[in-house]
Parts: sequence; structure tokens; C-alpha cells
Amino acid sequence: MIPPVEAPRGRGYRRPMAGWWRRNPYFFWYMVREVTAVGVAVYALVLLAGVVCLARGEPAWNGWLAAMRSPVSIALHLLLLAGMVCHAWSWFDIMPKTMPMLFVGGKRVEASTITRAGWVVAVVAAIALYVVARMLRP
Amino acid sequence: MLPLETFKADVAIVGAGGAGLRAAIAAAELDPSLTVALVSKVYPMRSHTVAAEGGSAGVVQAHDSLQQHFDDTVTGGDWLCEQDVVDYFVAQCTPEMIQLEHWGCPWSRKEDGHVNVRAFGGMKIERTWFAADKTGFHILHTLFQTSLKYPSIRRFDEHFAVDLVVDEGRCRGVVALDIASGRFVLIEAGAVVIATGGAGRVFRENTNGGIVTGDGMSLAYRHGVPLRDMEFMQYHPTCMPGTGLLFTEACRGEGGLLTNKDGYRYLQDYGLGPPDPWPRKKAMELGPRDRLSQAFWHEDRKGRTVQTPHGSAVNLDLRHLGAKKLRERLPLICELAEEFLGIDPANSPIPVRPAVHYTMGGILVDGRTASPLPGLYAAGECSSVGIHGANRLGSNSLAELSVFGRVAGEEAARFARTARRGDNAALATQAGDAIALATAMVRRTDGTERLAALRREMAQSMEDGCGIFRTGPEMQATCDKLAELRERYARVRLDDVSTAWNTEWLNAIELGYQLEVAQAIAHSALAREESRGAHQRLDGFTQRDDVRFLKHTLAHRDGANAPKIGYGDVTITRSPPGTRAYGAAGEHAEAALGAAK
Amino acid sequence: MTVEPRHIEIEVLRYRPGTDAEPVWQSFRVPFLDDTSVLEGLQAIKDDQDGSLSFRWSCRMAICGSCGMMIDGVPRLACHTFLREFFPGKVRVAPLDHLPIERDLVVSAEDFVRKLEGITPWLVPREARTLAQGEHLQTPRQLEQFRQYAGCINCMLCYAACPQYGLDPEFIGPGLMALIHRYNEDSRDGARAERMELINAEQGVWSCTAVGYCSVVCPKHVDPANAVNQNKVNGALDWVKQRVGLKGASK
Repeated sequence: MIPPVEAPRGRGYRRPMAGWWRRNPYFFWYMVREVTAVGVAVYALVLLAGVVCLARGEPAWNGWLAAMRSPVSIALHLLLLAGMVCHAWSWFDIMPKTMPMLFVGGKRVEASTITRAGWVVAVVAAIALYVVARMLRP
Repeated sequence: MLPLETFKADVAIVGAGGAGLRAAIAAAELDPSLTVALVSKVYPMRSHTVAAEGGSAGVVQAHDSLQQHFDDTVTGGDWLCEQDVVDYFVAQCTPEMIQLEHWGCPWSRKEDGHVNVRAFGGMKIERTWFAADKTGFHILHTLFQTSLKYPSIRRFDEHFAVDLVVDEGRCRGVVALDIASGRFVLIEAGAVVIATGGAGRVFRENTNGGIVTGDGMSLAYRHGVPLRDMEFMQYHPTCMPGTGLLFTEACRGEGGLLTNKDGYRYLQDYGLGPPDPWPRKKAMELGPRDRLSQAFWHEDRKGRTVQTPHGSAVNLDLRHLGAKKLRERLPLICELAEEFLGIDPANSPIPVRPAVHYTMGGILVDGRTASPLPGLYAAGECSSVGIHGANRLGSNSLAELSVFGRVAGEEAARFARTARRGDNAALATQAGDAIALATAMVRRTDGTERLAALRREMAQSMEDGCGIFRTGPEMQATCDKLAELRERYARVRLDDVSTAWNTEWLNAIELGYQLEVAQAIAHSALAREESRGAHQRLDGFTQRDDVRFLKHTLAHRDGANAPKIGYGDVTITRSPPGTRAYGAAGEHAEAALGAAK
Repeated sequence: MTVEPRHIEIEVLRYRPGTDAEPVWQSFRVPFLDDTSVLEGLQAIKDDQDGSLSFRWSCRMAICGSCGMMIDGVPRLACHTFLREFFPGKVRVAPLDHLPIERDLVVSAEDFVRKLEGITPWLVPREARTLAQGEHLQTPRQLEQFRQYAGCINCMLCYAACPQYGLDPEFIGPGLMALIHRYNEDSRDGARAERMELINAEQGVWSCTAVGYCSVVCPKHVDPANAVNQNKVNGALDWVKQRVGLKGASK
């Protein structure tokens, strides 16, 4: 148990936090990473819309596909793709931080190795998905 | 004028480094009903124990023995040790190291899980426990974090001790300044332990942190307690030129070499050879610190040292250890060399020179850490309990903190339990006087001296006169200089006249402590007309003189005058004074001794 | 051999309570060599130009943790940051972010120390052991499990780096989470359960949003971000264990 503070909260001058994320490039990129999570959520909704349309039958599905092919949609997709890559990159970067120490053959596994492994899996999975998608095309 | 704040404790401890924390824990364990006030001018984890690197001694190996640890220590101390105290010390080292392990200290281990030990200068057999190359750091944090278990320990962090209070011939407490607020507090106690560390900062180049200014030594000294064996200042042979930062002895324990500008292992010319086989205990680079520092001095005189922007140096060559072993065993060294000097020890040798590192002498105490002033105890580097003599062996100091920290805590607790208390009026008056004296410095408007100037002159003079090799005239010049500085000190003018977080004021009070301790050092050195251990003279007194000087120097304060120098007997039990032989001579001596048995 | 010093401008954020309504920048010029640290620059100011500049320091070798400051907007140890890095530009030195300023470059460590006292930061042995039984056995591999987290020098750079701590000082913070983790991972310790409550609290790991800057600035490579985020998994598992009725950790 951490003892509660009895006296007035510490002595000293407290500097304001407003605009903290602009003070250091590291914080700026952290905020960008957080925003890309919104992008991920947006894309999940787009896909959900697609699934709902699929369930409603062929006209609805074709309507959704047409919407996806529109120039606005392509632009949005490119933006979201950039966000997703950024998100994945920052996620793989922080992934080693979430894991306990790994030892392989008595040697400590470096954080960079874990990050690279993450990327390898992601790329392989993406390629596999694409190949399967192509194979299943009617 | 605000009323004086008072705190009633049973035991007051000044200094929260290894010894102070160990004392606090010991007192709290002996009697949890006692209040232990732990007063420190810095947060405990900043104490200079944190910088100790190499290790702490404790006999563990089957082929080692207490007798051998005793012999190494007494020989290393050039027979100026209190041999009965050394006997007690060596027997307590290992249990204390085990205690630290039980409290969580992350000692480096062998594959089988037992604690690992390594070789250290001046020691015949490996008995130095170590935690990578951050042993002091780990010991300090272990002790600090363990101390948090005891609710009876009340810490006064960032409280600067300005005086002791003494009444009816007994030490009755401490007057301290709360640095952040500028308010004073009288901590009244049944017994006081001083554990404030050494005084290396009185010298120009030193390994010490800024806080190592002899505060507690001066506090005791000002109340009539003599400072013993102050002339013995240890130079550590391998320090960074300029800053004086330490490159641990463990570098040499791991097999590091010292070469001069010609790449020659010069130590073989100074009675420490032959150079091979290497590594070999008590030979060459694993000889005792005083011998290595003296060898540097001679090489420098011969013009065989390397020149750096911060003075001459020799090479500490660790290249043959290889990058892997360097990163694993000596990571701190690699970091220091790279950041300050742009050197990778795996590729280039590191320039090193001796710098002041440790204060062998200190507050006179007996084997139970009691000073001649009843109720006042001292432990750690600030004390002279009698184990280091004229030269300390590496890894005996960290062990000292635990062994005698515990003794001091227990003895102080026992004394406090039976000490008669009451009549605080006298104490309050004394406290008021101490506060007025301290505050006068800040209020002074007609001063003419700049603090930094006095400090620099003191430090330079101590290096000149009380260096590795000393002569009468040079020591006398330093004594004269210190007298002049003490006089000018009364005219210091501070830029900062505030009371809260006025570190210039604190530095000024520290300078006052330092000047008095420096005088004790210089006058003790001048009076010792022989060469022994870390006190080496070039002016006719180049040999050890057991007839006249097999005794301890005692420096007694004499107000504004120079200290009065007296002498005390050395307790010799089992080991009569012999020759300190290292290298081949040492091996011959040991072989002869073995054959004689 | 003497080397001629160059000169550099050091701009310091001053604050004198009672005199200054708010912190104010003040400029100084100091001489320096290649191996002159920012700390030595500040000492030169204090010794020869303005004795009223207050800052903490001691060991000069990045082990005592006293001299943490914002140097050009980045939390660093002044003794281990060198003026040569900034020359010929100026270097701005300010007190550590997110902590209240007591005076000049001195910040309040009260919150940190108070929390430190409350996290059971000592070894609670799994079973009693007498001194006569000797040391616990611990292999180098077991030591490796927690050694890095035990290297924290309490310099608080990670607190200056953590915006979550800045926004909500109730958060235990990266350094102390690393210390909690140090004890949990020590094979000799048995108090994981006691510490789980702290870990799983709102002001425990759940205030952390994995910014990760703490580990970037840590001068001792303790990797507090790892300590915190590993424990999110531990905390979550413990929560599940309790819901499922298994003997969970925290009460």
C-alpha cells in the first residue's frame, strides 16, 4: 500500500502540460501512432459494412464494391494503408517491450530480433492472404 | 524568529551511506521500540558508497582462511593496524556478506549458484565478493531498500548537519538544516553515530563525489575527539586524468596491464615483478595501491609517462581481455572510457593516473566503534577503527561498512537505552549558537573572498604538499597555506543570500569542514618522520622507522591554531612488523615461511 | 600539453521561490574542452559567475542519479552529457519535466521517494534462512532474469520522459514499476502476490499507454517500459484467475 499524501501536494512550481506532445519529436510520433489506431477502427467499420452488404444479397454487395472502387474511396484506402503500415511498424517496435525475457540456447533474444520476426510473420501472412484471395476468385 | 523545531530520537545517525544504513538497520533490529533518526544531506541512494565498484571481502574458499585475510590486511596496512580489531573484522566479513545476500544483494555467481569471488590487489587468495562492477551500488540500494522495512527508522533526507550538541560530557544530538526550507531542527538523541564518509575532496584530483567533504570528521573534531592517522590518504593508481574518475581495481583483477609510453610493464622495476606468469596475486598489477601509485610517480619523474590534456598518465591495457569479457565483467569501465575519452578498451589502452581515493584515517574509535566522547560512535570511512593502518586493501572498505555499521548501530542503541535524558534547555541554547554561527555566513555583506578560489587553493596545495611523495618543506608550505586559508575563510562572501536551497551556503560550510580536516592531514604528515604505507617521504625519512613511529598519529583541534599532534600505541598481537614483500620477493618470503613451519 | 578551451553559451532555467513568479531563462558563457560535461559547465557558472545557481550532483560518473536535467529538451544526466555535442550552438538546461521545481534545477523527489517506500521494495524470502545456511543458490541465468531491472539509479529521467506521469502524477511511474519487477523476478523472492495489487491498480500499469520514451532515456538501460508492459500481461492473467475462481495473486 502506498501511503496517502497527508500534507498539501508537494512543494514547488508546477509547469503546465498543455502542448506537451509538440515539445519532443518522440511524443509527436507517439500521437501519430495513437491516431492510426483510429484509422484501424475506421477500416474495421468499412469491412463490417462490406460483410453486412454481402449478407443482404448480390445488389447490395455490388453496390459496396462499386463504392470501394470510387476515386474518393481509393484515396481513403491509400491513406488508411499508410496509417496501417505506420501502426504495424510502431506496434512491432513496442512488441518486445510487452514480452518477458526470451532466451534461446542460453543467449538473450534481442528486441530487434523480435521486431524483425514480427515483420516477417506479418509480410508472410499478407502474401499468403493475397495468394489465397486470388485462388478463390470466381 | 521561529521557535526551534525539535525531534526526539533514541539514536541519531548522521550519514546514510553503507555504514549509516547498516547502523540504522542494526539499531532497529536490536530494539524496534527505539526511534532511529537517519540524517543525510543527500537522499540515501546518492551516498558515495554507490560509486564503489570492485567488491567486498569475505573468506569463502576452502583453501583460504581468516588468518590469511588477517595477514594480508595487517601487511597491507604496514603494521599500523589494531590487530585485535582486524581479527574481529575478518571473522565478521563473510557473515555480513551473507546477510546482504539474504537481503537481496545480487552478487555475481558461479555456474553452480554459489557466490563468485575474485582476486584483488594485495590479497593472496580470491575472497572479493562482487556484483558485476557495481558492487557499492548494489550494496547501497540493497541496504536502503531493506531499511524501508523498519518503521522505527525515521529519515531526515536532505538535512545538512551543522553541529553536534554535547552536554555533561555526553553527545546528546545533532543540529541539522532542512536544505529545502532553510529551517533548522535539533535532533535530540541518547546516542549519535557518525557515518559521513571520507574527505578526499580536499585534494584536487580525486575519485570522490562532491559530497565527500569530511563533515562528520570535522564535527567530532570540533568537540574534542582526535582524528587518527590522517596523513594516510590512499591514492588509487588507475583513475581518469582530469576528472579523477575511478577505473576499478577489478580491471587488474581480470588481468589488465599497466604500461608506460614505451609499452613496457614498468611495475617490474619497483619490486613487484617478475611480469610473468600473469595474472598472479600480490604481484605486478595486483600489488597494493600505494606501491602502484608510487611506481607511477617514479615513472613520471623519469619522463616515461604518456601526456594527456589533463596531465601525465600511463596505459591501462585491457585489449587482451576481448570485447565480450569486457562488456560482461567491466561494463561501467567501457562506458566511462567511451563517453569521456572516446576510447573503446577492446581496441586501445586507457590513459590512467593516480588520484586520491580513500581516507584511511578518521575519527578515533575503539573496536566497538565508540569514540572517546561518550554517546558518540563512528563507522565507515569517517572513522579510524584500526583495520586499514597505513594503507587499505581493496574490498576491505565495503566489508567495513557492514561489519562496523552493525556494531555502531547496536552499541549506540544499547547506550541510548540507558542514557539519561532530559534538560533540553542546555541543548536548545547550544543549537541556537550553532544556528547563529551558520547563518552569520549568509548574512555577511562585507566579505572579500570568493568560495571557489579558497577551495581551489586548498586542493592544489594539498596535492602539492601531501601527494604521493612528500618532503618536509613542501608539507610545511601546505600547513602555512592552510592556516592562511582558514583566516581568509572568515571573510568569505556568498552570492546567494537566500536560505532555501542555498547550495553555495552548504558548500561554504563544507569548506570550513574541509579546511580543518586538511590541517589535520598536513600536520600529521609533517610530524611523521618516516615512510610507511601511503605516507612516503623523499627527504631523508625514506624508510619505515618502527622504533620511533610504530604508533598512531592523533590530531587534536586547537581552535583557530594548527592542530596539536600526539601519538597512540598500536595493538600488535600475532603479527610482528615484517617486510611488505610483493612479487617475487613476496613469493620467496612465503616459501621460506612455509619451509620453516 | 595545454589545449586552448573554446566557449559555449549555456542557457539555464532559473527559479527562486519568493523572488520569481515563474521560471525565467538566464544565459551564461563558459570555457570547455572536449571532455567537459554539462555538469562541469554548471559548476563553472556557480564557481566563477553566479554562486546562487542551485543543482544537485555528486558522483560525476552516472551512478548516483543526482544530476538529472532537461538538456535541450531531453532528459539526461548532466555529468554524462558533453558540451562538445552542442557547440557551436547554445545548450538549454532546465529542471526535469513533470516534477515540481523547488529551486533552479532542483526538482522535488518527494513523490518518487514516498511511492518507493510503499511498493515493498525489499526481498521477502520464499522461506526463512539462517546465516549459517549460507547464501541462497542462484544461477547466473536466474540472476540475468532481474539484473537489468536492479540497475536503476533512481535518477527519475524516466519520470521526466513519461507524459502519462506528467498528466497524472498518481501513476506509480516507470522507474518504480521496474523496481517492483526486479523483486518479482528475483528467484529468491516470494512476495509477488503482495505486489500484484499495486501492479494491477489504475495507478499501476494501467496508466501506461506504451509511449516507450522512458526506456529511450534511461541511462542504465533498465528498460522500464518492458517492466511495465510485461506486467500488463501478468496483471490481466491475475484478474482472469480471480474471476475464474483460481487462487489468484492479489486480494
